[in-house]
Amino acid sequence: MQRTHLQLQKRTSVMARIAALVFAALLLASCAVRFIGDYDDTIDKGVTDIQQKAELYLSKLQSSPNTPYDQDFYDDINSRLAVLKSRASSLPKYPIVVEQLTNLKSQFDTLQKLDKGSARPFPSAAATDAESAIAISVESILKLELALKARGNATPPSLTRTSK
Amino acid sequence: MALDVGKLATQMLSAALPLLKKHAADAESFAKTEFTKIAQTIVSIGEQVAASQINQQQAGLLLDMQTSASRNVLLTLKGLALLAVEEAINAGLAVVKTAVNEALGFALIA
Repeated sequence: MQRTHLQLQKRTSVMARIAALVFAALLLASCAVRFIGDYDDTIDKGVTDIQQKAELYLSKLQSSPNTPYDQDFYDDINSRLAVLKSRASSLPKYPIVVEQLTNLKSQFDTLQKLDKGSARPFPSAAATDAESAIAISVESILKLELALKARGNATPPSLTRTSK
Repeated sequence: MALDVGKLATQMLSAALPLLKKHAADAESFAKTEFTKIAQTIVSIGEQVAASQINQQQAGLLLDMQTSASRNVLLTLKGLALLAVEEAINAGLAVVKTAVNEALGFALIA
């Protein structure tokens, strides 16, 4: 009876140690952090594409200040931004980029008001300033995306797999 | 081998600090470039109003665009800061991993 009692004590002690180890390992494994989402190629290319279209439109306004207001340009940009924003909203840990795309949309809305409400010839320096503002927003979004890309797929520490 | 708290803390800091400094330098460089451009554009807007090339309403709209641009720069800085902290913490955790595995005598954490 004494021997059985000792065996039981030993088994309980071993189980307690294993449980403590597993708990500690789980705790450490769950401590790997990810504060922001991953790089997204579609958003990278999409924002670059929008900038290209904006540059073309504004360059035309600068070189030919009598170029009339073009609603199709704004409709195209708005639909592209809507798609990108939907995508960003569906990605995990992406609220910063969602907000940036919202600000970029706001810039195009403001540009549209300026463009539609301005008599021709359109002030050349104003076109330059608008171009600069949009470029800065795009650069900001791309800067962040490229930093996420540089982070790559480095795996944070995790539990050792016992079998493959 | 038992875990040495002081030694472990120093090792974690040595892993994390260089990363934080590197990211801070990068963020500073980006912020300086972009805010300089914004400042130049704001001055340009003022000059256009003074020269009557644009009216006040147009100036207001252009300034709105600059405000949005500034917000996006700040949001990027926020994102870069999150990345920097993430990297620093994970570097510290990697140090913990090595120390724990050595103390246990086998690779509990991959």
